[in-house]
Amino acid sequence: MKLKYSFTEKSFLRETEKLAAPNENAIVAQNLTKLFKSRVRNATQDSIFARKENKVVTALDHLELEIKRGELFGLLGPNGAGKTTLVKVLCTLLPPDEGVALVNGFNVVNQQMQVKRSIGTLFSIGERGFFWRLTGYSNLEFFAAINNVPRRGRRERIMEVMELVGLRDNAFEIFQKYSGGMKRKLALARALLPDPPILLLDEPTTGLDVSSSRNIRDFIKNNLSKKAGKTVLYTTHYIEEVSQMCDRVGIMNRGSIIALDTPAALKNMAKRGEVAEVVVKNMSDAQVNALRSLDGVAGLTAEVQDTVLGQTRLRIRLESVDALRTVLDFFFNEKIKLINFKQEEPTLEDAFIELTGAGVGR
Amino acid sequence: MLQELDKVYYFMKRDIISFSTYKTNILLSILSAFFGALSYAFLGSNASMQSVTQIYNIPFTTYLIIGLAFNTYLSQSLTLVQRTINPWSLEEVLVSPTGLVTFIVGSSLWGFIWSTGVIAIYLAIGVFAFGMVLSVNIIGTVLVVGLGIGTFIGFSMIGAGILILTKQGDPVTTVITIATNLFGNVLFPPQVMPFQLRVISFFVPQYYFFTCIRPMLTGQGLQTIFPDLLVLFVMCAIILPLGYMIYSLCLRTARKNGTLSWF
Repeated sequence: MKLKYSFTEKSFLRETEKLAAPNENAIVAQNLTKLFKSRVRNATQDSIFARKENKVVTALDHLELEIKRGELFGLLGPNGAGKTTLVKVLCTLLPPDEGVALVNGFNVVNQQMQVKRSIGTLFSIGERGFFWRLTGYSNLEFFAAINNVPRRGRRERIMEVMELVGLRDNAFEIFQKYSGGMKRKLALARALLPDPPILLLDEPTTGLDVSSSRNIRDFIKNNLSKKAGKTVLYTTHYIEEVSQMCDRVGIMNRGSIIALDTPAALKNMAKRGEVAEVVVKNMSDAQVNALRSLDGVAGLTAEVQDTVLGQTRLRIRLESVDALRTVLDFFFNEKIKLINFKQEEPTLEDAFIELTGAGVGR
Repeated sequence: MLQELDKVYYFMKRDIISFSTYKTNILLSILSAFFGALSYAFLGSNASMQSVTQIYNIPFTTYLIIGLAFNTYLSQSLTLVQRTINPWSLEEVLVSPTGLVTFIVGSSLWGFIWSTGVIAIYLAIGVFAFGMVLSVNIIGTVLVVGLGIGTFIGFSMIGAGILILTKQGDPVTTVITIATNLFGNVLFPPQVMPFQLRVISFFVPQYYFFTCIRPMLTGQGLQTIFPDLLVLFVMCAIILPLGYMIYSLCLRTARKNGTLSWF
């Protein structure tokens, strides 16, 4: 895919240049806190007359983050970790309750317009924000106008971003006829329309097939990050995505960044000890729990591999190689049949599980 | 058979539970039915026709067609802002460098153009099918319509603001619709109602709008409607900025609470 970026409307460029604040960090969050207060129905009563109770959820908990200009930064976390809330705070949609957030050097609370001119945003369900009876082109024409893309050169810019995401041939099709992948690509094209220096991409590949996901990831890494030098904040709960494409990764859990480094360094964090990947047959939940509680087992994830054959894939983090003997004895004593056994290098997934204490999707 | 009845029961139970969460809606539906019946009772009375001839000196058909035509306009204005608050599109607009006023005006414009077309159809039917005689005071009509739209967009913003917060029925739109039909001088003059109901009309902007618009379309001068026009102006001057303030406040609150995309 050829990157042209021939969009050179002078006034627009002048405005963008003015926005480039002299700061090496594109995004800064300090002590950022967001609480959600609501009145919710008592979850223990199944009645329309159930009493409502006040509930406070801490979505962002004194979060600290710095993302450098031109960096492709991955934000990894399980569902409910606070990733979407962070994106919404950074794009000015949610005001923080405490702390400061700067985007392109501008404060998200009192310099909202400057922040909005500096960013392109893709929400995790971004395709719902389109107008389904309009063509892809007409949708982008509307969003180009409200995002201050100058009237002169607007058509060229729209066709350019549609070509960038591979939708040029479908530009004049009705949006509701687009496939899920095409809708997501159009949402990405919308985020690119004003040619912003910073892109906030919230789970851009959720719900897409493997091929579409890979296309979008490659496009973000090669075209947006490497060639165009955009700063990209990429949130996901898919470990492989950030592991393969991001310069640095922050692992987020319960509203805080609990680890932040390059994917390689994060993998190294998990390198203490050993990892064994085992495929077993007919292992009960009780046996999995018993294995998890053995001395020398630092962590364990279990995933059903084949329900018909009764096979389960276990990923066992061992404190040292000596613990391997204990684990094998356990399988022997419990008469559990081993289908496959291999020792592996710790991955980002191991670091993630160790840090968050959670399993992740995929 | 029992199994099927069991399924039917759970379909109904699902709907009752969902319905019961929209308490404002339930109340408003009941109120609409009650006041709707009352409106049509007054419309059907002989007193209406006699009063129209005495007060406005125009045929009842002309009275009714102008009332219905411009009521379409006001109804359009009343729901304009609500229709723009699709939560996902709203988020996309709010993260763009577009101000609230541009958003509201831009989202409303086509609705008004379309309504103007609908009014033209109403009036054309009146003229060609019922022999209605129109003599339009253009300045007066533009003035009255402008103030009417301003007032109703104010109401619309109040309703939309409440809808953004409550995610339930919008009480403002229902109350205004009831007030328009019953006290607004749309279908019958308030003079046919008992005194206790008639006085309510004096607090309803629609009454002044319809009292002003008919003379402007039937050949009378601005001086004939001046006192009512002044009241309409004052109401517009209060309701429009108030609506904007309430809408902005509710939008800010929903953003703070993170409930903008809940519906």
